[in-house]
Amino acid sequence: MLGKQISCTMESGSTQFFFLIDKLRIQLLNSIEGATEKDYFQEEISPREILSRIESVILRIVESLSKNEAPVLELPNRSSWSNVDFDSGVGLQMSSGHSVTTVKSNCPASVTKFAQILKILSVIYRLVQSNSYATKRDVYYNNTQLFGSQRSVDTIVDDISCMLKVSRRALHVMATSKGLIAGDLCYLEEDGTRIDCRSSSAAVSVSSNVSGIRNIVSSAKFVMIVEKDATFQRLLNDDFCRKLSPCIMITGKGVPDVNSRLMVKKLWDTLQIPIFALVDADPHGFEIMCIYKYGSVAMSFEAHSLTVPSVMWLGLLPSDLQRLMVPKRSLLPLTRRDENKLNSLLKRPYFASQPQWQKEMELMQQSKVKAEIQSLADIAPDFLTSIYLPNKLRFGGWL
Amino acid sequence: MLQEIRQVLRLVVLMSKQGRRHGSGSTGGLLILLWDEEAGAQRLNCTVAAAGSWCSGVEIKALQLDLKGRMFPHVSPSLEPDPEDLIPFTELHGSLRLLLSFQMKDARHWPSDWQSDVEAVLQAFSLANAGIQIHLKLKFAQKTSVRDFRAKIKAKVSRADQPPLLLDVSCPEQKRWFLSKPHGWAKRASWCQGGHPVDGGRLPLGIPPQAMDGGLLGDLSVRLVTLLHPCVLQYPNMPTELKSIKVLVYNPCNIPVSGPSGFFQTLPSSMDCQHLGLRGLQCPAHKDPEFRVGTVFTTEQWENEKKCDDEEQESSHLPVQQSLLLFLLLQHRNPFCSHLSDFVAADMLIEHHLEEILCNNKPAVMAAIRTEIGNAMKAQNQRKKQQEKLNSAAEVILSSTMSIVSCSSNVDFRNACFDLMKVADTHALSSHLGESLRRVMSWRFLPVGRCYSTQMEENLLHHGSTKSEI
Repeated sequence: MLGKQISCTMESGSTQFFFLIDKLRIQLLNSIEGATEKDYFQEEISPREILSRIESVILRIVESLSKNEAPVLELPNRSSWSNVDFDSGVGLQMSSGHSVTTVKSNCPASVTKFAQILKILSVIYRLVQSNSYATKRDVYYNNTQLFGSQRSVDTIVDDISCMLKVSRRALHVMATSKGLIAGDLCYLEEDGTRIDCRSSSAAVSVSSNVSGIRNIVSSAKFVMIVEKDATFQRLLNDDFCRKLSPCIMITGKGVPDVNSRLMVKKLWDTLQIPIFALVDADPHGFEIMCIYKYGSVAMSFEAHSLTVPSVMWLGLLPSDLQRLMVPKRSLLPLTRRDENKLNSLLKRPYFASQPQWQKEMELMQQSKVKAEIQSLADIAPDFLTSIYLPNKLRFGGWL
Repeated sequence: MLQEIRQVLRLVVLMSKQGRRHGSGSTGGLLILLWDEEAGAQRLNCTVAAAGSWCSGVEIKALQLDLKGRMFPHVSPSLEPDPEDLIPFTELHGSLRLLLSFQMKDARHWPSDWQSDVEAVLQAFSLANAGIQIHLKLKFAQKTSVRDFRAKIKAKVSRADQPPLLLDVSCPEQKRWFLSKPHGWAKRASWCQGGHPVDGGRLPLGIPPQAMDGGLLGDLSVRLVTLLHPCVLQYPNMPTELKSIKVLVYNPCNIPVSGPSGFFQTLPSSMDCQHLGLRGLQCPAHKDPEFRVGTVFTTEQWENEKKCDDEEQESSHLPVQQSLLLFLLLQHRNPFCSHLSDFVAADMLIEHHLEEILCNNKPAVMAAIRTEIGNAMKAQNQRKKQQEKLNSAAEVILSSTMSIVSCSSNVDFRNACFDLMKVADTHALSSHLGESLRRVMSWRFLPVGRCYSTQMEENLLHHGSTKSEI
């Protein structure tokens, strides 16, 4: 009943409907123009330079052995918060004076990792030299006994990227994307393949070569990042992209992979339209949103090419749960793990520039409850796509 | 001769234990002086002198009057030794607590290598009584030879329920083939000059009926202590291989006893060598000087590769050969023993029935020995696993490095690699890099606090060193 009373038309192209979104866009564009030029992570490094950096690593190893010293590799520490600075205009970026982890070649505990790094360096060297590409999976299958697991390869590729100060894409190692995208968007892949995301029934996988995308065409008014695949599929089934056309929606299916983050960044850099996040009202969802917006500690060395500090929090807000009187049966108590995560999040440097976000998180902390987006279906089956999202977008319900 | 010397040692130790004041030490000196009156004489004189805290309980008069006749039935009174021979000893160790001289007849019937036997027994005695400096002086056939047995490095092995033991843990001379040549480029590296005894605890022993019938009563037990030489703890990646196991048995006076050869001959068959990681044990028939006291077993691996000269061992290619010394220290307690003669009798009974005692407790003794050897092998097997891991990784490191060098079209880079390793082509580069990589892996040095490093060497030469190890 409530839904019928406040339902509104969502005809495509309605100026009134997108008034606040357009206004937001202008604000964002103005803030971009006022920003100072920053030193961005080098996107375009020549293959010769990459080979040279790898050769420098090898030369240091040979030099050590020539002096009968055990070679070591120094990897920037990508897991420590103390190695990260926060800049509200960029997000989490690796400190200039970051600590390193030393990988020794003469210590049984680390020699395998040393060998793994050298092996992957040699694979990358050949890929770059021959201008060919391989996936991380291909690299793993190169020597499964040495690597042990795909995760080892994934971690080491990122370590090498950070050590050489080169993006992973420049290393010619690709990753299969897990993200999906749909909506008012067309582009060309690097190999010339035309991608049209406007199909109403099926989404398109995020490209595994985002940096190679060109000729992006879109009239979308906004991009919506959806945390979970289940919610994304629900929106797809409900024909969300047509109902709130023109728009784009994208999901990383949980914690986003690098390609999904690159795609969001690409859309922002190219289209410069507002980007909203639709996540569960729980600490995990909040953290996922922060990854898109401010980045992660592990990838802080590539912050400039991955973060979109302009991401806005559309929902599900903890205050929405009270305001919409979501049925109590749909609310879940915070677990001990949730509480620990929440406490940890509240200590993060984000909130100095986001007082409203802090209030929402404190509200969650006080209420000790969380809720998934799916809980809105307990109000009405189509509440999410018919009422909640349209109202939020029309009346500026974002933070 | 040997028997008499051992008898004297037994007396001195037992008298010292009886008369020892609380807190008195275990240091001092022992002089064994053997001389003939004239060239070609068939009689040999022996003087035993002792000084220091280890024999503080000895009463010379009681020894000479009461027990001498019973203890030495085959000897006759001797001339007194030349005081000149005693002066250096007393200057070093203080006034004599014991001076006993006797004469042995029919020296021509003694085994030709009797001197070596005496030296071997004194050497073994010194190992388990490291606080006592032993001086052996031989003056006969117009020749004089002096041999000192002194522990450069001592370690006290303490345990709550055991009497403290002071062991000589210095690395034997013949095992120091590499100690004088630390690897040139390991600037900080040093060698541990000693070993680290491991106390295996006390094993109660049942007294066999024959021994009981002979009068041996009370509580009998054996304490097992192991010592591995040379110590390579500071080189955690260095592969090792157990070359030999030497078993030394000591009576309750801490005097080495010979045999029991019959019991130990069965040791190889009682060991599950495969489970221990050994390739088999052999008891060699020959009698090298090292093997005169105690029973020595060599591993089959060592037997096959023995032809290799120790001095020429290339550590990057061969594992370090280690020897395990296994002390079996018998302990006896009988509350009904009060007189010195009781203790002497019990001690002699234990020696006499040693074979039966050990056979009577064979399963337990073998199990205990197996445990001690197994513990030593654990460390070796762990090193072997680590070595395999390092070797496997080294292959990958080398192949990856060479892949990049070989593929590179950067002439400066390639030349820089060749120049650093002083080679002319990739084949030589691969070979040199491989050797260097394996060398830096094997010779990784990590200082260990309890090791006796070469930086201490000068101190050791002058003052010796004692550490406590539990």
